[in-house]
Amino acid sequence: MAGLTLRNVAKNYADVNVIESIDLDIKDGEFVVFVGPSGCGKSTLLRMIAGLEDITGGTIAIGDTVVNEVAPAKRGVAMVFQTYALYPHMTVYKNMAFGLKQAKTPKDEIDKRVRAAAEILEISDLLERTPRALSGGQRQRVAIGRAIVREPSVFLFDEPLSNLDAALRVQTRIEIARLHQRLGTTMIYVTHDQVEAMTLADKIVVLRGGNIEQVGSPIELYETPDNMFVAQFIGSPKMNFFKAEDLTKKGQAMLKGDVDRLGIRPEHFTTTDVKSALVVATPDLVENLGENALVHCITEGGMEFIVKTTDLTKFKQGKKIGLTADKARVLGFNSTTQKRIG
Amino acid sequence: MNAGMATIMGNRTLPRLLQTPAVVLLLAWMLVPLSMTLFFSFIRYVLNNLRKPEWTTPSIDNWRGWGNYEYVLYKAKDFWFAVENSLIIVGSIIVFTVVLGLAIAVLINRTFPGRGIVRVLLISPFFIMPAVNAVLWINMILDPVLGLNGLAIGGINNMVASLTNAPLVGWFFALWPVIEPISFRGTETSAIAVIIMVTWQWTPFAVLIFMTSLQSEDQQQKEAAILDGASAWSQFCNLTLPHLARPIAIVVMIQAIFHLSLYAEIEIVSRGNGNKNLPYLIGEFASNNIGAASATGILAVILANIVAIFLLRIVGKNLMD
Ligand SMILES: Nc1ncnc2c1ncn2[C@@H]1O[C@H](COP(=O)(O)OP(=O)(O)O)[C@@H](O)[C@H]1O
Ligand SMILES: [Mg+2]
Repeated sequence: MAGLTLRNVAKNYADVNVIESIDLDIKDGEFVVFVGPSGCGKSTLLRMIAGLEDITGGTIAIGDTVVNEVAPAKRGVAMVFQTYALYPHMTVYKNMAFGLKQAKTPKDEIDKRVRAAAEILEISDLLERTPRALSGGQRQRVAIGRAIVREPSVFLFDEPLSNLDAALRVQTRIEIARLHQRLGTTMIYVTHDQVEAMTLADKIVVLRGGNIEQVGSPIELYETPDNMFVAQFIGSPKMNFFKAEDLTKKGQAMLKGDVDRLGIRPEHFTTTDVKSALVVATPDLVENLGENALVHCITEGGMEFIVKTTDLTKFKQGKKIGLTADKARVLGFNSTTQKRIG
Repeated sequence: MNAGMATIMGNRTLPRLLQTPAVVLLLAWMLVPLSMTLFFSFIRYVLNNLRKPEWTTPSIDNWRGWGNYEYVLYKAKDFWFAVENSLIIVGSIIVFTVVLGLAIAVLINRTFPGRGIVRVLLISPFFIMPAVNAVLWINMILDPVLGLNGLAIGGINNMVASLTNAPLVGWFFALWPVIEPISFRGTETSAIAVIIMVTWQWTPFAVLIFMTSLQSEDQQQKEAAILDGASAWSQFCNLTLPHLARPIAIVVMIQAIFHLSLYAEIEIVSRGNGNKNLPYLIGEFASNNIGAASATGILAVILANIVAIFLLRIVGKNLMD
């Protein structure tokens, strides 16, 4: 087991700068999720930690050892790939045993570890099958099993759930969380899905364009996002931003100093009379999800935004309504610097 | 059209009727030559015989039973030699092309400057006619006097000769014998010449097939293997070779079919001296004794089938799954 320390880590492909300069500390046993839009460099960063990509600048240390020049297999990391990357011509057992065999582990030790991992993942009766004869979810387990048997100090996951269907994704997500509880090993998990990030992480690292936007616990990112990008990326549906012309007098009074945007999450609105409202809006369209509904509204300034509500009776299509939110839930931003103020 | 008609022309009958001409044609295409060969192999049939002019027409009256086969198998000295040689030549070519093909395909699969040109150059031997290939190799490369073989050995001999007078080390070179270039038209070596030239010509075929297949290899599997600590050799054995099982099977099968019927190379290298395969032997018989040629032909068909079944057993399994 080990933590990680990244200092000024950079990556260039020829003259394309993919990762600029990343500093990050990961504590031993932490579950860290790299999240960000597609192409922001999450996989590249993970692959640099694994040793599958050269580090073109800075240092990566696992535990106390700088691993820049250490061979991938000697770093004590194990990776679960998006496509599982199981060895197609080997049985499940051999897939899981392969790494140990390369390390010349004694046969009975290999057998013990493979069977123990298979037990944990409930794939004991699949050991003699080839990957071809497995379902997507089973392949996923084997891929995780292959990582477990090597008893790494850091687990790396690169979008491990994106090839599964929705139901299985939720189930596997929970199993990964359980696995982390059970093993207590450092895990780094890459995803573009903020729900996975929120549910799994001890610590979320939000990346954009090769830079870290913010690092923090899920609740910190949700309640106190540093900037408009993080505010919109975390939470679904995403946070609404209101300019002065979209707000009522009372709302405009909250734009103080550098603050020129108010950010309110769809789930934080409450309905009220027009006089005490922050925003006066006209409901336009309703998406009913059963447990709650998403109401698409239009402000007086003409901007469309979303309100999440459990009480649809207040919303009548085309009929003006007043909306407000708890003061603590209203965040002020500056649209030029994109930063949160206060 | 009524219901009755529809049953007669049920949804099977019409397509079958329409297929019939093609099927009949294909059957005739195969069966007529095969039956004629079979017939000729059981009669006395020669192109030229002054004492027995009746043998020069194929007729059932000249029935010889198993006579042609007995003659070919026991009396004609070259049959078993030709069988053995056929198998040695085909086997060697297959082994060499697959090994070389694998090595080259893996080597040029990575990116390097000029890869496109290298690939085209590598493939080009395959577009040379077999006879031209044989003439080029036997005269320009393997010839013990005028070819590269002779020139290189001559050069080495001259260099050694000139060094015998050198101070200090001269005595060492004086001990060296004069090296003789190998003559590839000789009795024992002509088969080697054929193997070399056909290997040169067909390695590109193997490279081409393997290269296409290498490009579809899953890179993440390789990365997983790297993380598992597999060496390049271990990756090759555990991932690349199994991945290439099917293309290797294809290369082996196709070459077995083609090289059992080699002819031009054998003709050009030694005219069958010391090196004959079954087609060449058939050709020799056919210059007069059509009966024996036909019997050999039938035996060759049997041999080809044995080889095919044998290969299907070992490598064909890969094509099935
Ligand atoms: N081999 C490469 N050469 C050049 N650019 C690359 C290479 N691999 C990835 N990139 C670029 O690096 C950026 C980050 O890629 P990646 O880490 O895969 O993003 P993601 O966050 O979606 O996992 C992308 O813009 C991609 O185009
Ligand atoms: Mg990625």
